Amino acid sequence: MKSEVNNFIINIATANGTGSQSSNLILLHSMFEMGIPVSGKNLFPSNISGLPTWFIIRASESGYQAPGDKTNIQILMNKDTWEKDIAKIEPGAIIIYNENVKLPVEREDCKIFSMPMTKMARGIAPKFAKLMANMYYVGGIAHILGIKSEDIEKSVSSQFKGKDRAIEMNMRAIREGISYAAEHWGNETTFSAERRDKDPDTYLIEGNEASALGSIYGGVNMLAWYPITPSSSVAEGIIKWLPELRTAKDGGTTCAVIQAEDELAAVGMVLGAGWAGGRGMTCTSGPGISLMSEFIGLSYFAEVPGVIWDVNRVGPSTGLPTRTQQGDLSMLYEASHGDTQHIVLIPGNVDECFEFGWRAFDYAERYQTMVFGFSDLDLGMNRWPTTGFVYPDSPMDRGKVIHTQKQLDAIENYGRYRDVDGDGIAYRTLPGSGIDPILYRGTGHDEDGIYSEEPDVYHKNMARLRKKIEGSRDVLPAPILREEEIKEVGIVFYGSMEYTITEIDDILEQSGLSVSTCRVRALPYHSDLEGFIDRHETNIVLEMNRDGQLYGILRRELPVKLLSKLHSLAYSDGMPPRARLYADKILQLLEGL
Amino acid sequence: MTILKLNVLNLDKSEYKGGKSSLCPGCGHDQVSNVIIQAAWENGLPPEGIAKMSGIGCSSKTPAYFLGKSHGFNTVHGRMPSVTTGANMINKDLSFIAVSGDGDTASIGIGQFIHAIRRNIDMVYIIENNGVYGLTKGQYSATVEKGSKKKKGAINEQNPIDLCAMALNLGCSFVARSFSGSKKQLTALLRAAMSHKGMAIIDVISPCVTFANNDESYRSYNYVKENDEVLHLVDYISHFSPLEEIDIPEGQYREIELFDGSKIVLETIGSSHDTSNIVSALRAVHEAESQNKHVTGLLYYNGEMPTTTDALGLTGTPLSQLSEEEGRPTFESLNLINNRLRGL
Ligand SMILES: Cc1ncc(C[n+]2csc(CCOP(=O)(O)OP(=O)(O)O)c2C)c(N)n1
Ligand code: SF4
Ligand SMILES: [Mg+2]
Repeated sequence: MKSEVNNFIINIATANGTGSQSSNLILLHSMFEMGIPVSGKNLFPSNISGLPTWFIIRASESGYQAPGDKTNIQILMNKDTWEKDIAKIEPGAIIIYNENVKLPVEREDCKIFSMPMTKMARGIAPKFAKLMANMYYVGGIAHILGIKSEDIEKSVSSQFKGKDRAIEMNMRAIREGISYAAEHWGNETTFSAERRDKDPDTYLIEGNEASALGSIYGGVNMLAWYPITPSSSVAEGIIKWLPELRTAKDGGTTCAVIQAEDELAAVGMVLGAGWAGGRGMTCTSGPGISLMSEFIGLSYFAEVPGVIWDVNRVGPSTGLPTRTQQGDLSMLYEASHGDTQHIVLIPGNVDECFEFGWRAFDYAERYQTMVFGFSDLDLGMNRWPTTGFVYPDSPMDRGKVIHTQKQLDAIENYGRYRDVDGDGIAYRTLPGSGIDPILYRGTGHDEDGIYSEEPDVYHKNMARLRKKIEGSRDVLPAPILREEEIKEVGIVFYGSMEYTITEIDDILEQSGLSVSTCRVRALPYHSDLEGFIDRHETNIVLEMNRDGQLYGILRRELPVKLLSKLHSLAYSDGMPPRARLYADKILQLLEGL
Repeated sequence: MTILKLNVLNLDKSEYKGGKSSLCPGCGHDQVSNVIIQAAWENGLPPEGIAKMSGIGCSSKTPAYFLGKSHGFNTVHGRMPSVTTGANMINKDLSFIAVSGDGDTASIGIGQFIHAIRRNIDMVYIIENNGVYGLTKGQYSATVEKGSKKKKGAINEQNPIDLCAMALNLGCSFVARSFSGSKKQLTALLRAAMSHKGMAIIDVISPCVTFANNDESYRSYNYVKENDEVLHLVDYISHFSPLEEIDIPEGQYREIELFDGSKIVLETIGSSHDTSNIVSALRAVHEAESQNKHVTGLLYYNGEMPTTTDALGLTGTPLSQLSEEEGRPTFESLNLINNRLRGL
């Protein structure tokens, strides 16, 4: 039988805290370095040690990045999920298991291979046998796929950077694994990994680290944060890169980092920073946004710039803290009481995490308001390919800030909240400047910033705020349109779904449909979106939540004549999107129309 | 002929004034505002270098009534400390003068209060403490004495929070207590606090004319309230004049009658008190409390404690004044990073 080259899905079932993450990343990086199009996904529990974890590696010549619908090679290491894992395996799959777990594997319809992983690991490192055992399945998989130990060495070295003894022991374990498999399992050729020409520019990076780097290149001056999965690694990334990138000539840092006492304080610090003329940010997830809401409203109303990165996890409430969702979108867009509207940037890949990382500050200062970066656990905490981040193509936009009395005098009829330019954006002065000092407030204020409850003053101010944010629509990142000649079905989607959309699209086209896609990259939405919807017979808003949050926003804001063309497909179960599942649901929906 | 008195910056005191107060006539908070004006003027602080911060409450409205030439931020309820912290990180050269209430600080904002102390944020933090939520019409705050009774409410059975004791326990670098009517003492304390580098807390007893602690003694007020339902609140706020100014010599105490007829005893801490000794400061607070007195004066002071901006090792220029080159790493640095991540 001819073997399936670079097209397979490996599922590795382990327990959290057993050190399997190193083994999994070594496997992923080894294949990546061989030029095989791979993606990795870590499905981890909300605990530190003991609960089940699955790592999915998918190799796909078509470049599909979603976890896929079917496992080809199953690794069994975790006794707690043993039976369930076995029950899920489809006929014909390869099963590799740790003999020392001493549980049966009865599946006549599969190819079963075993190895005494823990026992062998004891031979190398008696104290760390449990950790080391994971390196043996790396060896087992390498044998099955025909990967040589030399192809793994580089990844082991970079995983255990500088720790020579660890590199040596782990490599020994992997080699032992390969030899054992060769000796006991025979020649297995169903799947194989073949070297391809790797683009030397490409590397893998997590979305959160990309956002962190982007923020640093955006000139962040203050980061205030409170730890929460899955956003902590944004802050940790900034902390990691600051010393190298943001140390001033005098040896001091140009960005203050404060671990706040909670999210209420973290966002308060962001407002303080923006008010004082700096670039302040925080990062959090849904529960944090809920707490921050009142301050977000103050930012909108008093017009203070700031940036918040929301790395979405599953809500409501504490929800599924280590699973992914697009469930915060409508909350971000309208956070806080009263009428509000916030700018939301929605990166769909790691390159945009970087780009929107720096752009967020420009928009925040230009529009004097809170700007959100909206990512999710899938994008933020998994590693995705990039060909390298692109340096900001424009200087910082610090917005309408008056620094001298002369500048102030040049403005006719200046007032802190007076729309002298007709774009809804007023000029501001900074504390410490002594120029036109005012008391910023969350209470009603007139064009000079003086307290007011006058009906007309309030109404006019709110209308100006709407005009101001409306003005950002066509300035913010435009949607990415991929249009077919025949405008049959249009799929409107956003965020990390980008990594699955090609596969969904391919499945749909296999059934004879002509499918165009439109990836929304910011709210308020760009006017290009209206054209796209107008051109297509049927449009489906595809998103990972229950209620169709973008669909809801579009229903309210799109011209009424377009609404009959718009349908919602919203589905969320906490898992990263699987192409087959979403494609089937879309087909069902289309059938029912 | 009027003689114009100028400070070291050649500024008249009027340069430190603010807008007209909209608080109830006689409110203790207005007295504190006047002292802030006096102290800032006497200290010769440049008005443009001051940032006025506050939360929400009658007390927190007062930044509109002093230092009109300084920028200010009237933030949200209980969370002024975090906004001040962020602003302080961005411009460490600003002199932060913050005003809060006992509701704003001891209830909704207690967490931020505590953590601002732990960080030794470089600011003056004034609590205008009246034992009630003035702005929401007189509910008890967490600093009200145990046993206080409202005519229509239950007796307060909970222990009060003593903000000075709490600040001392948290290692605050400057802790003082005073009274809104003690103009001389409060001015001296504020001037000291303004020169202090680090967190300076002054808990100022600042009685509420309209909703004092004990409704029972509020006879005329309640009489009006109960006999004329259609009257709007502002219509029956009595026009008290501010409490008389008092000056209690060191080591002595005096009984003071408040608007509602209740009495408090203020004791000025003695000259023998060692302001570098937290234990004796705490003893003074607790001993006074056990005798139903409030001890006033400078309780503790440590000028050596590093502030957060010191500890973080910020660059010399305030971050708000950095150039684009100082804020954005170079093009080459990104190439270097890309290559490193490529494993090259
Ligand atoms: C989040 C929030 N909750 C409640 C309020 C209502 N509120 C306004 S002022 C206040 C209490 C103020 O008391 P205090 O700080 O002692 O100030 P005072 O008016 O006594 O000077 C409350 C509860 C609010 N503004 N915001
Ligand atoms: S209600 Fe009390 S605290 Fe508020 S302004 Fe009136 S007297 Fe002052
Ligand atoms: Mg009060």
